[in-house]
Amino acid sequence: MIRKLGMVLALTVMVSMGMFSVQSAIAADPIVIGVPTSTGFLEGKEALKAVNLAVDEINATGGVNVGGTKRPFIVESADIRDAAPGVPVPEALLGLEKIILSKKPAALIVGPFRSEALMAGMDIIAKYKVPLLGTIAMSPGSEAKIKKDPEKYKYVFRTCLNAVHLVKYLAGTMALINKEFGFNKVYVMHQDVAWARATAGYVKKMYFDKAGWDILEVEAFPTGTSDFSSSLMKARAKGAQVIMPIFDMPQSGTLVKQWNAMKVPAILAGFISPLAGSEAWNTFDGKIVGAMNTIFELGSAMPSDMHAPSRVFYDAYKKAYGKEIQAGHGPAPAYESVYILKEAIERAKSIDPDAIVAELEKTDRMGVMGRVKFDEGHQAIYGFDPKETCVSTVFQWTEDGKRTIVFPASIAEGKIQLPAGLKAVK
Amino acid sequence: MLVGTTIYALINTAILALMAIGFNLTFGISGVANFAYGAFYVFAAYGIWGMVNLLHIPYLIAVLVAVLANVLLGALVYRFVLLRVRGQALSEVIATFGIGLAMLEMFSYFGWVGFEYTLPVFLDRSFIIAGTYVDFQRLAILGFSVVLIAGLWWFTHHTATGLAFRGIAQDERTALTFGIDSDWIATLSVSFGAGVAALAALFIIPLGSISPGEGYDVLIKALAVCIIGGLGSTGGVIAASFIVGFAERFTDTYIGSHWTMIVSLVAILLVLTIKPSGLFGKQKELEERI
Repeated sequence: MIRKLGMVLALTVMVSMGMFSVQSAIAADPIVIGVPTSTGFLEGKEALKAVNLAVDEINATGGVNVGGTKRPFIVESADIRDAAPGVPVPEALLGLEKIILSKKPAALIVGPFRSEALMAGMDIIAKYKVPLLGTIAMSPGSEAKIKKDPEKYKYVFRTCLNAVHLVKYLAGTMALINKEFGFNKVYVMHQDVAWARATAGYVKKMYFDKAGWDILEVEAFPTGTSDFSSSLMKARAKGAQVIMPIFDMPQSGTLVKQWNAMKVPAILAGFISPLAGSEAWNTFDGKIVGAMNTIFELGSAMPSDMHAPSRVFYDAYKKAYGKEIQAGHGPAPAYESVYILKEAIERAKSIDPDAIVAELEKTDRMGVMGRVKFDEGHQAIYGFDPKETCVSTVFQWTEDGKRTIVFPASIAEGKIQLPAGLKAVK
Repeated sequence: MLVGTTIYALINTAILALMAIGFNLTFGISGVANFAYGAFYVFAAYGIWGMVNLLHIPYLIAVLVAVLANVLLGALVYRFVLLRVRGQALSEVIATFGIGLAMLEMFSYFGWVGFEYTLPVFLDRSFIIAGTYVDFQRLAILGFSVVLIAGLWWFTHHTATGLAFRGIAQDERTALTFGIDSDWIATLSVSFGAGVAALAALFIIPLGSISPGEGYDVLIKALAVCIIGGLGSTGGVIAASFIVGFAERFTDTYIGSHWTMIVSLVAILLVLTIKPSGLFGKQKELEERI
């Protein structure tokens, strides 16, 4: 009798534990977000942190509502090192495929750093049918592939800006400089990678050539270049009034230091990764007065008080990690992408990739960068007013170590100032 | 432009020589190709940065501690790793490369990536030399590399330890018969090489910033210069630094920046094709003569 009672008790306990664990498993069954990117580079590192911030915020509210069940997000990251000099694209893609196969993510966010890796990785993404919300690689080539074969490549989206949108901002900045000071002689220096080459080419074709600027030279520098003395000497010798740099590599900080040390009498206006964040003032000992830099997405490295969500995100990041965002490209769209994914899953009531993709295409939300909508190439639309589109910003470093947004007009805080030692020609 | 390019080519030469001399010192004496050299360079840089910015240690003391730490690290690597595989070239390469990789990836893993990781320049001034602006830091590199090479020459010709270095480099077995402890000298050579890497970092890092990737760059450049000049030959390092340094800057100015990176690689190919032991190297001299 006692034996029978004991067996019944044991069975009851075992069944209860089983039910509990099944219930626990269902309740805790997380949705995996994969983040394969170059986490050893600033943009990749801070984009990953931004994803983690968004995931923590969402999980704090219970998680994602998938057809009535709340499920948390978890983040699995992989350093695919595609941004490191000398790393072949196939090596980087091994990391991409590995995270898909081993972690089985419902979606990927951030994605390859280099467009070369993204373009090649699109076939892997299509093969495994994993939605990707890219936030760093910028070549418009990916959109062309999507438009050419939408059924195959529909899983690839981009929430950061692309080279074409960046060109609009650079062109707008150059037009402002020309209007304010009459400058029209430019020396273009760009990194020898797909996005920078495309950007330099488009700016030349779509603005400089049409506006009648004198393009003194367009120079390409391999990733890893650490001496820009020859080019700066040529810029000075040829009478450059504006130097337009387009770099994301860490070594481009040397360009800024050499520009200052060699006292080249030209405005530095373009994109140099080390100049984006607030700590650049200390890094370069304040020797960057007058330099202008582009922030690719509002909220990355710089918020605007005229668009509250960017300030909320920027401050939340600082509170979570103890320091301000320094990367001018990547973090804001990475953060935003998590919420975009969340809403798409909730509308789809499923984590089926095709269902997610169908809902991603319908995205229309007010976020950190402005209003987020995708075009037919799955590219987030960027313009000049955060109420209508996502926006970038162009700022200028001032004498007191602050950054003033000078473009676009919808969020501008001041006008471009001519640095000391330079004279306007009108 | 010609004068300016020549000035910066000389500076580039000095930078390459400074990067390569420590690697060459280690190989020339102990025969160990220390593939952790780039990691030692970055380790010293991060060490100085950490001591100054996190522990608020005065800069000069931080530099001294970093150099000594590198010397000690080199000694430990030799004593606990390389001693066991000494003489097995492939194992030495794999062991040192593994150590270097682990160190550099550790920096990446801890997130020590960003533009705030840099070292201050010695003096924030520029000078006009023959119509060209040159910053003080680059002039300091030029001066220090001359002093270092001269100092190494004096050390290896006028001190007992230095003469022992040369003895081991010339013929280890004969040196042993004179009572020179080859393992101790090899330990010193790896330590000194690591110390020189720390000094190179002190001078060169302020031109840019510290990043784990710098370790790989320094190793590749040091290797390129040493292979071209001849592994183990200080004269070869100087000559190769001149060749590569001038070729890079003149290519940059007169041909195009995107060709610069392949200059050192083409130079390696040419030298290995024509004289595999390098310009002043002696490893395969007998075979080449035959």
